[in-house]
Amino acid sequence: MVFAPHSMAQEKAQEPEQYVKVRLLSERSAVGPGQDIWIGIEQSIHPGWHTYWRNPGDSGSAPRVDWTLPDDWKISDIHWPAPEKIPYDPLLNYGYSGNVILLQKLTTPPIMKGGPVTLTADFEVLVCKEICIPEFGTYTLTLNDPENMNENNEAYLASAREKLPVPSTVSAVFSERDGTLEVRLSEWPEDIAAETLELFPLEWGLIENTAPLQTRMDNGALILSQDRADRPLNDIKQTDFVITGKGADGNRHAYQITASAEGTPAPGTESSPLPALLGALFFALLGGMILNLMPCVFPVLSLKALSLSKNANKKDQTPARRSGLAYTAGVVLSFLAIAGILIALKAAGAQIGWGFQLQNPVVVSLLAYLLFIIGLNLSGLFEISGHFGNVGNKLTQGTDITASFFSGVLATIVATPCTAPFMAAALGYALTQPAYISLLIFAVLGLGLALPYLALSYTPSLGKMLPKPGKWMETFRQLLAFPMFASAAWLVWVVSQQTGSMGMLGVLMGLVLIAFAFWLIQHQPKDSNRKILVLVLAALTFLTAFALLPKDTVAVKQQHEISFGEPFSHAALNEYLQGDDPVFVEMTAAWCITCKANHKIAIDIPQTRQIFAEKNVKYLVGDWTNQDPNITEYLNTFDRNGVPLYVYYGPRDDVTKKRPQPNVLPQLLTPGIVKDRIK
Amino acid sequence: MTLKKFVYLLAFGILALAAMPVMASVQTGHAAPDFTGTDVNGETIKLSDYKGQKVILEWTNHQCPFVVKHYDSGNMQKTQKAATDQGVVWLTITSSAEGKQGYTTPAEAKAIMEETGSHATTRILDPSGEIGHMYGAKTTPHMYIIDEDGTLVYQGAIDSNSSPRQSAIAGAKNYVLAALDELNAGHPVTDATTAPYGCAVKY
Repeated sequence: MVFAPHSMAQEKAQEPEQYVKVRLLSERSAVGPGQDIWIGIEQSIHPGWHTYWRNPGDSGSAPRVDWTLPDDWKISDIHWPAPEKIPYDPLLNYGYSGNVILLQKLTTPPIMKGGPVTLTADFEVLVCKEICIPEFGTYTLTLNDPENMNENNEAYLASAREKLPVPSTVSAVFSERDGTLEVRLSEWPEDIAAETLELFPLEWGLIENTAPLQTRMDNGALILSQDRADRPLNDIKQTDFVITGKGADGNRHAYQITASAEGTPAPGTESSPLPALLGALFFALLGGMILNLMPCVFPVLSLKALSLSKNANKKDQTPARRSGLAYTAGVVLSFLAIAGILIALKAAGAQIGWGFQLQNPVVVSLLAYLLFIIGLNLSGLFEISGHFGNVGNKLTQGTDITASFFSGVLATIVATPCTAPFMAAALGYALTQPAYISLLIFAVLGLGLALPYLALSYTPSLGKMLPKPGKWMETFRQLLAFPMFASAAWLVWVVSQQTGSMGMLGVLMGLVLIAFAFWLIQHQPKDSNRKILVLVLAALTFLTAFALLPKDTVAVKQQHEISFGEPFSHAALNEYLQGDDPVFVEMTAAWCITCKANHKIAIDIPQTRQIFAEKNVKYLVGDWTNQDPNITEYLNTFDRNGVPLYVYYGPRDDVTKKRPQPNVLPQLLTPGIVKDRIK
Repeated sequence: MTLKKFVYLLAFGILALAAMPVMASVQTGHAAPDFTGTDVNGETIKLSDYKGQKVILEWTNHQCPFVVKHYDSGNMQKTQKAATDQGVVWLTITSSAEGKQGYTTPAEAKAIMEETGSHATTRILDPSGEIGHMYGAKTTPHMYIIDEDGTLVYQGAIDSNSSPRQSAIAGAKNYVLAALDELNAGHPVTDATTAPYGCAVKY
C-alpha cells in the first residue's frame, strides 16, 4: 500500500503536521524474478523549507533510509539528484526544495516467491527553514499485489532520473594551491556557461561552502578553484564532485566526476596488475640494460668496453674498476637530475610525462645536433685536442675518473630518445609516485644502463674475452658513427613531424653548418691572425646553426599516418562510451618507435582492420608528439606517463547494460594479441 | 585631496565594510584565538585565563533537535562531567542572535543549565556572534578542544553519528572523550577534525 499523501488544501489553514510529505513509488507494481526496478522516495517539501543532499554543507543532516526487504532482495544506495545551494548567512547548505525524488534500484533474486511482497522503509529526514525539524516515518510499498496492479510511475521516475548527475569519464585531479582547492578537468563541454558553474563536493570539509567558485581554462582543461576548509587532504586519494552549469539550451546540466589527488594513480581500471615498487624497479633495471642495445647508446658502450680490453691484462685492475664506478656515478646522477627536473616541473603544474623532452622541437633538434657531432667525431672528421680532450679518444682509451664520469652523463643524454618498451610501465608508475620513489626508480634505471660496463670493469676475464686492440679499432670506431647518424636522422624526421618541412630544413641546414664549423676548426691555419679569423668564422657558423633551431610547433596532424581511425578527444571517447559499441584507444607519438612498430605490425593490417569492421569497433588515435595535456591526463588514468598505450573498452552487455572494465593491452603487440583481446 | 586619492580611500572603505561579518576558521594544530565573553553570572571570561588547563568549547541552542538529542539522553552532561572531573574547563557558548532560536537571557540560560543538570564550568552568552565567528562555529552542537598550551587539538562533532535520533548515540564514537583519552595518554588525537553536525548557528 502506497502511503497516501495529504492534500495541500489542508495546510493553508494551519501549520502542517509534517513539513515533508513522503511517498514511496515504484516504476510498476508487478515485478518478476531477476529484475531491476526503480524505486523513488518522493519528498514534497513545504514551501520555504528545505531538506538536505548527501553532503548537507555547513549544517543540517542528510536523510537516511533503512529498508526491510525479503530475503535475497537487494537495493542500491541512494542516487541523489543534483542539489541546490541554500545560503543561510554566514553559512551555506546543499539540498532541495519543492519536490525531490531520491532514487534507488531494487533487484529481485533469481528465484522468487509468488504473491504480494511488502517492502518497508524507515525514513528519517531533517527539514529546515529557520529552525530544523527532524521527521521520522515508516512507509511501505507492496508489489505484485493482485488488487493493485495498475501503478505505473515509469515516466515519472524516468523524468526524475534526468535530474541525476550524469557520470562523466573526464579525468580529473584535485590539489591544494594557495589556500584553495583546485579541481582540474581535462575536458569540459563548451556550451556550459562558465559563470553558471557550481561545485558540490560529496565529501565534507574540502571547501568553504560559502566561498565563490573561480573558473579558468588552461589549454582545453577546465580548472575550478574554491577556498579550502579545514579538513586535511592528505588521507584523501580520490573523491567525487557534482558539477552543475547552464547549457546552451537554458537548462541546468549536472555531472559527477571522480577526481584523484595530484600525484596518485587515478581510479585503477587496468586489467593488467599495477607494478608494485619491486616490479617497477625490476623493469627499470631491465629497461636500463636493454637501452645499451639501442643505436644511440651502443656506440658509447662498445667503445668504453673496448677501452677496458686494453687494460685487461694489466695486474692492477683498480683504474678499470674506478672507471666503472665513475661511469656508473655519471649515469645514475644524470638520471636523478632528469628525474629531479621532471618532478620539479610536475610540482609547478606542468602536464608532462616521459618523453616530454621530445615534445619540444628545440630539444629534439639539439639532441639531433649532439648525436650528429658525436658521429662526426667517431668518423674522424675532427678530433678535439687540448683542454676539452678528445671525445673519441677518451671513449676508446680513457679510463680516468673524470672522463668516465662524463661519458656516463653523455650516455644518459643520448639514451633519452631511445625509450625501450619496458621503460614505459616503470616510468609511468614512477612519475605518479611521491618524489622519493620516482627518484629511486630513475636511479635504478641508470644503474641498469651502467651495469654492463660496470660488470666489465670488475671482471677482467670478460675483458680478456674481448678482441685485442689493434688497427681494426679505428675502423670499428668509424663504423659506430653510422648508428649515431641514423639516430640523428630519425630525430630530424621527428622535428619534421612537429614543425613541418620548413622546420626540418632549418635543422638540416644546421647540421651542415655544424659539420662545416668542425671542418674549419680542424683545418685552422697555423698563422695566428688567420687562425683567429677562422675560429671566429667557426663560432659564427655554430651560432647560426643554433639560430636555425625551429621553435614553433605546427599542427601537422594531417600529415600523420592515421591510416584509419579518428583523432582522440575526450568528447569523442565519452560519446562512444555512452553507446554500445566497443572502443579501441591508441596513444602514440611520432618519436616513439615502439608505437610505430606496433601500429605497422599489429594494427594497420588487413586482419585487424577486418575485425574492427566486423565488430564495429570505434578506433581513436591520440597523437602525443607535441604537448597535449588531455592525452597526458588520459595516460595518467592508466598509471602511465609515456606512450604507447592501448586500451580496449568491450561492448556493452545486453543483459547487464554495463561495459566490462577497460582492458589495457601489452606494450608490444602482435596481431594475435589484438585479435584475442577483441573477442 | 586629489581625485585619485579619494577613489583609493573610497575603495578601501568599501572593502573594509565588505569584510565585516567574516567567518574565520581555526586550523586544528594552530593556536586557538583568545576571546573575551560574558557568562551567565555577568563575569568576564577570557580564554587566556585558562592557560595551563584544557578547555572545551561547546556551542549550543537548547531548542535545536540535535542539542536536545544529546541533552535529553544525558549524553552531553555525561561528557561534560567526565571532562570537568579531569580538570578540564568546559565552556558552553550560545551565539544565537536576539530574536532567533536559542537566544536566552542570562536568567533563562541559568535555568536551562539547572534543569538539564549541566556540568559545564560556565556558559557564555555571545549574542553578537563574535566568538562564534572567530572560531567558525557552524552548528549546534559544535565542539572544540584546546590544550594547556592554547593549541586547538580538536574541532568537529561530539560523536560520529549525525542522526537526530537518541538511539544513534549508543553505537557512535564520542570524539570528545576519545580525544581526551588520547591526550592523557600522551598521544596525538587521531580524529582531530571531524564533520560537525546539527542545526545552523542562528547568528
